[in-house]
Amino acid sequence: MTQQQTARRLSAALQQGVTRRRFLKWTLVGGAGVAAAAAGGFALLRLSPLDDQPEPDWADGLSRQEYHLFDRARVALLPTVGTDLTPSSQVPVVHNVQHILGFMGAATRKDVATGLSLFDNGAVFFHGKRFVDLDEATARDYFDAWGRGNVIQRTLATVIKQLTYTSYWRDESTWAAVEFDGPVSEQWGLAYLGNAPLPDETSLNQESTV
Amino acid sequence: MSEVQWRSSGLPVTQAKDVTQSSLTLDADVVIVGSGAGGAVTGYELARRGKKVVILEAGPYVPSQEFTERFPESLEALYQDHGGQTNKSGDLLVLQGACVGGSTVVNACVCFRTPDFILEDWQRDFGLSDLTSEEMAPYFERVEKNLSIEDNKEHEIARHGQLIRAGANKLGWSVKPFKRNIRDCALTGHCLSGCKTERKQSMLVSYLPWATAHGARIYADSRVTEVLAENGRARGVRAEITGHDGNKVADMTVNAERVILAAGAVQTPLLLLKSGLANRSGQVGKNFACHPSLYVSARYPEPVHAWRGAMLGVYVDEFLHPDQGGFVLEDGGAGLAELTMTAEPGTGEPFMAFMEDAKYLGGLVTLIHDHNVGTIRWEDGRKVIDYQLANADFPSMKRALKAAARLHLASGAEQVYVPSSDKRVIRSEADIEQAVEGLENAPQHLRMVSYHPQGSCRMGADPDTSVVNADGESHDVKGLYVADASLLPTSIIVNPQVTVYALATRIAERMA
Repeated sequence: MTQQQTARRLSAALQQGVTRRRFLKWTLVGGAGVAAAAAGGFALLRLSPLDDQPEPDWADGLSRQEYHLFDRARVALLPTVGTDLTPSSQVPVVHNVQHILGFMGAATRKDVATGLSLFDNGAVFFHGKRFVDLDEATARDYFDAWGRGNVIQRTLATVIKQLTYTSYWRDESTWAAVEFDGPVSEQWGLAYLGNAPLPDETSLNQESTV
Repeated sequence: MSEVQWRSSGLPVTQAKDVTQSSLTLDADVVIVGSGAGGAVTGYELARRGKKVVILEAGPYVPSQEFTERFPESLEALYQDHGGQTNKSGDLLVLQGACVGGSTVVNACVCFRTPDFILEDWQRDFGLSDLTSEEMAPYFERVEKNLSIEDNKEHEIARHGQLIRAGANKLGWSVKPFKRNIRDCALTGHCLSGCKTERKQSMLVSYLPWATAHGARIYADSRVTEVLAENGRARGVRAEITGHDGNKVADMTVNAERVILAAGAVQTPLLLLKSGLANRSGQVGKNFACHPSLYVSARYPEPVHAWRGAMLGVYVDEFLHPDQGGFVLEDGGAGLAELTMTAEPGTGEPFMAFMEDAKYLGGLVTLIHDHNVGTIRWEDGRKVIDYQLANADFPSMKRALKAAARLHLASGAEQVYVPSSDKRVIRSEADIEQAVEGLENAPQHLRMVSYHPQGSCRMGADPDTSVVNADGESHDVKGLYVADASLLPTSIIVNPQVTVYALATRIAERMA
């Protein structure tokens, strides 16, 4: 099934008023998700105003859709209002996500791209708009619903959360608020001990067995 | 025998950047694939006996001084698949070192001898009659002495360990300090990122420099692609040397009459399968186990700072024997990146509140005696770790989880977070049953990590049901050995590094 065929099938289902339960059974369990993976990803089920907003120049390892998805995930998953935590807008979260994804092999990266597109488009069936266009509270509900969902849903919700969380907390600017020390050896002036001395081989060599 | 040339720091390693030829051919008595626990120990033990040894490591050489003590960066630099190695369904992170020194560089220093009852199982079920406690004891003693393995001293039991110990005592459960392979621990808490100041006695600062002192040569960035054999005898390996930019620098052939595979329980069977060797039994890649573990975090009323102090202080062995449950609870430190992966406290504000209180979190690691139900194989040119927690093991996992929750509560924790994909918080003993029994053994429901892949080229007396014999030698190909955790015919419940060191010492001795 090609990408366009997949999109047409999903669009047709949407127009026929397919239920959420049927969508999940058909798309996620019934194998269309896998077919989409083989086809290289979904086309967009519904346009977003963000589709016209280009990603930053540095985001050459993310598609435009992926950039906006992770930026929305950043806002939804990392609220800091009313806390001493560093606002996520001051942390290169999406840049760090791109960095992590850059380590993936081509085949895995392609699977992830398909999954991200599925996550984005899946929101159309639940909320009438793509994930990138959900408000923060609805986006969080969407994550929670997928966290309670089937295997593919749980996988995608977990993967996106973990990428986003790690990309925030790996940044040094987030540490002071929670008293995380980070690297300490140089700060403490610890001495390098070097290699361990050779074992006493005289005794070893005298043994026929240990 | 040539002069011994021990150096006080660093390792003489040939890296891709040092290679100027497009093709290399080396001759050796023994070529060893992998430089971790099995490769380094066999390398030293054979080199000091005068054998000409070449050690090939697929990962990079990263000197200790370059360790960053930043876990996400360390995952990318030092671990297999840059920290992204998982089982087929993606719900089990399989962490293995992929650098010179292998997993010994990034483990948490925990040292256990193989439990006697495990050795008895091996004798009874796999015909490994030589591997008795008495036979193994001198090998354990040697590696314990060589690697400064001792009980944690009181100052090495961090706040999180002190809390857990007090809770265990309150419950009347047996709790002990860990033994660790470390000299003068600096209490940085960064074990999993490599020990920057060379206190952890990993292979990087012990057996590998000792092996090179006796003339062994180490090549990093060198992935073995095929084991070579003729007429039922090993004759060497083919490898590719690849630069850090991903471009191949050179092809390499090492001619040797002895080949030791010590690339770990995932890579070793993959290499054998790719080479089409040593699989008359059909067992190569089968019987994979991995101690799927959970990190059970809990919020305490006082600051714990789980990232401060020695990472692992004490463990509860009350349930170690299979008749008592077949699991171990280990007090475990963690940094911020690790903590984000451990629990599902809720999305958005609840998660950020959980992390804002990170200094109040303590953790327990559960290890279970899992059945050998997994398979390592190739599928369309991609490696596959086909392992799901067996239904037979799920009750054990739940018992371990319940015990961890009880222990946290007895230690004073206010909330225990079940490491599941949905939010489950335990606040009292009355909550435990419902929170844990409601779990399903389904992919992506539990957040599991494996640090101990094992069993995928098991040893045994019967060539029809095992890959290698008790001396680590292939039943099918003379001169071809396995000397890593692939050997272990059953999972051993406890951290396996000392088991591998001891078996590798024995294998080398019997080869020489």
